[in-house]
Amino acid sequence: MPASSADWLADARQAALEAYEAEPVPTWRRSGFWTTSLRNLDVDALEPRRYEAVADAAELPAVVRDALDDEPGALIVQRGGSTVHLRVDDDLAAQGVVVCSLEQAVADHGDLVREWYMRRLSETEGKFPAATAAFWTGGVFVHVPKNVRVERPIQSVYVIDEPGTAQYAHTLAVVGEHAECAIREYCLGDDIDGQALHAGAFELYARPGAKAKVAHFQDWGRGEIYDISTKRVEIARDAHVSWVPVHLGGRLTKQTLDIVTAEPGSDMRHTGLYFTERDEHLDLFTTDLHEAGHTTGDTVWKGALTGESRASYEGLIEIVENAQESHTYLQTHQMLLSQKAKGDAIPSLIVKTDSVSASHGGTVGELDEEQIFYMMSRGIPRIEAVRTLVEGYFEEVVQRLDDPGLEALVRRRIGEKLLAAEDQVREFVGHRAGAAQEA
Amino acid sequence: MSLEIQNLHVRIEEREILRGLDLTVRKGETHALMGPNGSGKSTLANTIMGNPNYEVTEGRILFNGEDLTEADPDERARAGLFMAFQYPATIPGVSVANFLRMAVNARREEPIKVKEFGSMLGENMELLKIDRQFTSRYLNEGFSGGEKKRAEILQMAMLKPEIAVLDETDSGLDIDALRIVSGGVDALRGPEMGSLIITHYTRILDYIKPDFVHIMLDGRIVREGGPDLADTLEEQGYDFIREEVAAADAS
Ligand SMILES: Nc1ncnc2c1ncn2[C@@H]1O[C@H](COP(=O)(O)OP(=O)(O)OP(=O)(O)O)[C@@H](O)[C@H]1O
Ligand SMILES: [Mg+2]
Repeated sequence: MPASSADWLADARQAALEAYEAEPVPTWRRSGFWTTSLRNLDVDALEPRRYEAVADAAELPAVVRDALDDEPGALIVQRGGSTVHLRVDDDLAAQGVVVCSLEQAVADHGDLVREWYMRRLSETEGKFPAATAAFWTGGVFVHVPKNVRVERPIQSVYVIDEPGTAQYAHTLAVVGEHAECAIREYCLGDDIDGQALHAGAFELYARPGAKAKVAHFQDWGRGEIYDISTKRVEIARDAHVSWVPVHLGGRLTKQTLDIVTAEPGSDMRHTGLYFTERDEHLDLFTTDLHEAGHTTGDTVWKGALTGESRASYEGLIEIVENAQESHTYLQTHQMLLSQKAKGDAIPSLIVKTDSVSASHGGTVGELDEEQIFYMMSRGIPRIEAVRTLVEGYFEEVVQRLDDPGLEALVRRRIGEKLLAAEDQVREFVGHRAGAAQEA
Repeated sequence: MSLEIQNLHVRIEEREILRGLDLTVRKGETHALMGPNGSGKSTLANTIMGNPNYEVTEGRILFNGEDLTEADPDERARAGLFMAFQYPATIPGVSVANFLRMAVNARREEPIKVKEFGSMLGENMELLKIDRQFTSRYLNEGFSGGEKKRAEILQMAMLKPEIAVLDETDSGLDIDALRIVSGGVDALRGPEMGSLIITHYTRILDYIKPDFVHIMLDGRIVREGGPDLADTLEEQGYDFIREEVAAADAS
């Protein structure tokens, strides 16, 4: 029998199913022009798809192979609804590190999974979190035991390469006390001709004294892939997590990303990046939640928009009552690179205690004409100046990935997107230069 | 080989800032340009370099006989013009070394070899007494005023322009830095380079002896002479020139 027949899990799925059925398909509205609507998504036409496992990574879909340019310590790949590939290096296994599908983990490590499963997530958060909790298949489980230090990254991949796919995904990661590791999760889509859905949940628990580097790399390609996900990271006493979500593509993305410093001494570094193009729609809401005093946070989110894309980033810092001596700040920037792109970047703050320091700032802007002139005055052509400035703008956040392979991938993709948008950017920047001259 | 500015009129936001300016700088010559605040010196420098905020309404800029009045800034730079900015822009995320490499490569067919670039950079940093680690910092980000000026001259040294306009490179430098930077500029001078040095002080001119001194007032060059004109100016201020100009206009 599949592992997911465990009674406790069956009960949890049942509760989630009921919550799912009770909820209508949501539309997310905020004051101003912003609405995220799923009216163009035909959910009923989608279904979970099953695939055969492949032992050799060379047989994985090309879109996955292209993103794997260095050798991770463990690799798990879910295609559609099925875990199709799993490799864990012997040295990791010898250290007691567990990387496997969540289904498998329910069978093999039932107590451990049950202890942590959906501690910080709930099926009552809305239609899609409920759907994910009710319908997930495959999934990813990572456990790094106490005091274990893993050198090479642990990598999970969710891939969608056929239209009509509904992928319900759930990743659970527990980094034990004083353990250290890097986890990177990729969400990759082929340029499919048609619709698909990724409804995902991600939860990570960094136990006391742990150190974790967590990266999310999302690039759903040029197809109509919708991503509605909730990601949550909890940091225990004296633990440190650096979390870097990167959004580089998807027809519509609606994500809630929360990072919680839950106990004294816990420290977060939260860094995000997005680049939207064509008619993409990106809606992100992040919360840095300080649940205890003597916690620290440092958040930077940067985005750029081309085409007719829409991007909204809202970043909240919340410091609860009695969380004194917390120090945190959040900066967000957004750069418009075409005339028809539209977006906003909104930082906000809820502080329910005193003796904390919390600051936040946000800007939405365009490229600076003086910077372009400066570069051109050194002989650098306008379009190259623009490209360099945009890449330079992102460099701060790219470097916070602290992972040369992934940094190179992100830089390459940004470069490609800028090249694809070259004409609009030229027109946009040129138009403004012309306007400046007329003024 | 020369930069020729003929009857230049420039407008910013409906206001005429340069009002018929003539100036010729040949390769191998050093010119000093002095003038009170707001007289239009930076406007001239920016217009020479093709800043799109400055609108040329009359006159021409010729470089080696070619009319560059309408050329884009990058074209002018590749032709051999350079300007050291009074207020250089910050380029976040781009290191000094990478920026220099990009600028050097912009005027070459084949990208420069790593080794050649490295030794050229090393030499020029030595000349300007610049620390090694400086080149890995993002260009002008968090630079002190003096560091920015040094970075400007480092770029000039790397790009070897035919004509360089230095807009108040001496402002904001302490005494030691002034000596190093002016010494560097002096070392880069030669038959292959002409320069236009915009300054408020004669001190830099002690290190870099100009062949000609021009005085600018209200968007025009009103007096020209040799190095001693700068000394006269330092002693007497701009008032005596203003009076002379007023008298000449009245007659
Ligand atoms: N971008 C601009 N927008 C509006 N006015 C400008 C601009 N640049 C220059 N001006 C105006 O043009 C005039 C000349 O300025 P410019 O900077 O050329 O003077 P300057 O001789 O370089 O002065 P300083 O010695 O203070 O550097 C000033 O009145 C200035 O306010
Ligand atoms: Mg000036």
